[in-house]
Formats: sequence, structure tokens, C-alpha cells
Amino acid sequence: MSDEKNKVTDKASEIAKNIWLAGVGAYGKAVEEAQGRLEKAMEPPKLFRDLVKAGTALEEEARESTIAARHSVEERINRVRENFHNQRPARIEDLLALHKKVDQLTRKVDQLSKALTDQGKSRASPPRKRAQKTAPGTTPARGKIAKRKIAVAKTARKNKSGGKSSSATSKR
Amino acid sequence: MRTRDRILHTSLALFNEAGEADTTTLDIANELGISPGNLYYHFKGKDQIITELFQQYEQAMIHTLTAPIERPLSPDRGSVEDNWYYLYVVMEEMHQYRFLYHNLDNILQRYPDIRRGFKRLIQFKRAALYAICQTLLQQDVIDAKDQQLLGLADNMTLNLTFWFSYEALLHDNRTPQVTIHQGVLQLLTMVAPYLGDAELSFYRDCETIYVNMLADTG
Repeated sequence: MSDEKNKVTDKASEIAKNIWLAGVGAYGKAVEEAQGRLEKAMEPPKLFRDLVKAGTALEEEARESTIAARHSVEERINRVRENFHNQRPARIEDLLALHKKVDQLTRKVDQLSKALTDQGKSRASPPRKRAQKTAPGTTPARGKIAKRKIAVAKTARKNKSGGKSSSATSKR
Repeated sequence: MRTRDRILHTSLALFNEAGEADTTTLDIANELGISPGNLYYHFKGKDQIITELFQQYEQAMIHTLTAPIERPLSPDRGSVEDNWYYLYVVMEEMHQYRFLYHNLDNILQRYPDIRRGFKRLIQFKRAALYAICQTLLQQDVIDAKDQQLLGLADNMTLNLTFWFSYEALLHDNRTPQVTIHQGVLQLLTMVAPYLGDAELSFYRDCETIYVNMLADTG
């Protein structure tokens, strides 16, 4: 009983499908009619991959225009894809990949800093002592000022001697 | 650019911005900085300009719509997303000639030729969207019965065709990006119930982008 019912609905849906496809198929004719008005570059394209099984078998012809059209559609799809990837929120996979990278880098940094401290130990303390001496005092700053004074003096001298001074002053 | 092409180009821009009904040939000539006489030398009047603009649109659109009918956009499951990107391509192309859609009934009543061409375009849209749906079905991306598939293709065509006019009634002054993106999102919303989990992630991404866009534009 339910089998029969299914058959009926199958048939009904088949009819509905054919009506639908006929609608789609209708434009094939319409395009032919309009062909004269439209430019040659857009002859009716080869259509109905699966659409109109019911009849109208269109001849398959490779046309340059449709190939070019295909190409431009693919190009535009590529452009949209790129654009989309720029806006797309980060994916779990992307995040996982990032985490992995960070882990690798952390490990590398650890290794490097360990190697550094090992080196420092073996070379003992003299460089560190010197650093301690200079750190609390103001000597380095004073040193900088002194250098700058010298530089100013130099440019002043150059200015006096005339010419070519502009580049020296602009460096400061 | 030749004067003739410049006239078409400027007319399209004015029609899109100010609406076709509110744009006169005088406006077009003024915008171009040419005399109305010069314009009439190239075109008999606004009717001819509109007709030619439609022919341009029809030609471009048919080329675009033919692509998925000829051959699947996604040869395998790995490139399924190309089908969704394709929807952007179609919508962007429609948006370039959006003046048609903002005044559709009016234009179709006044120009029987455009009406014929437009009916043809709708059939092309149905065919293209049906072809896409069928490819997705064959690749097990979506799960739908025959009749559902036809209904889905029709709903998508409907949505695609009238999205701009619907959207213009709902919102003022939206950016083209938001309009187009939401249009694609609406189309995907129709496909979503038939999608498996894997492809749903793309849908979620679309949603997130949409929310971000709205936040950006305030």
C-alpha cells in the first residue's frame, strides 16, 4: 500500500521536475531568437549539463567565448577567495599551528639562553664586575654629553671654515 | 575612452546613484561636460542608453551564469567553497547594474525587450543555481531530495534576484560590501540546513564576517 503511495508521489514529483526543467529549457529557444540582436561573441552557450534530460539535446561545441568566460569567472572566484581569507576569523587549525610554532620557538629560546648562561659561567666574572661599576654611576651619560659637545665643536669649526657644513649639522 | 563609451559609463553611474527615473539626458550631458546635442549624436535618447546598458549586463551575466552549468566549479570536495565564492561574483556583477533592480517593475513595463531578456536571465540563474546544487548533491556535500533541490534552486534565484530591492527597503545607506555579503549569507542560509558539519564551518565564518562588518560600519 505504502509502495503504491510512493509510486504516485514519485510520478508526481517527476512531472513537477519536468515542468521545472522545461522552464529552464525555454530560454534556450529564447536565446536563439534573440541571437540576431546580441553580439556574436555571446552566441547561445552550450548548456544543460544535466538539466534537460527530457529532450533538447544541444550539440556540444567548444567555443572560444565560453572558454574565456570560464576563465574570467575562475579569476574572479580567486579574487573573492583571497579577499575572504583576509576577513575570515582564525580557525582552530590555524590556532593550533600557531601554538605549535610558539612552542617550538620557546624551546629554542630556552636552549639559547641556557647556552648563554653556561658560557657566562665558564668565563667567570670579570666582565660582570665592570658592568656593576659603571651601572650605578652617571659616567656613561656624562660621556655621551661630552661626545656631543665635541661633535658640536667640530661642526662649529667646519662652519667657520665654510661650505659643506649642512650635511654635518643635519646628522645631529 | 570613446565618447560613446563614456556616455554609457556615466549614465550607469548616475542611474545607480540617483536612480534611473530621476536622471535625464541633460543630467548625463552635464555630468560629462558635453552638449546635449553631442549626446544625441551618439544616442537617440535615454531609452537607447538603458537598452544598451541592459545588453551589456545581459551579456556579462550570461557568461558568468554559464560557468557552473558547463562544468562544476568544484571538481572535488576540496574546492567546495568555490561555489560560495561564485555567489559573490554573481552578486557583485548584479550590483554593478543595480539601477535595474531598484526600479525593476517599472523598467520591465516600459521596455518589452528588456523584459524578454530579463526573463531569460532568470532562467539562466535558476539553471546555474540548480547546477551548483546538483554538483553539491553528487559530491555528498548536501543531502536533499529531488523536489527539495528544485525548490532550493528557486528560492535562491528569488533571493538573488530581489535581494537589492528588498535590502534597500530595509536599510538606508549601507555599504555595497555589507549588502553583498549579507546577500550571499542569505543564500547560504538556505543551503545550510542541507549541509554537513564540515561545510557548516564556512557558514559560521560568513556569519562572523557579517557581524564584524556591521560592527565596523556602526
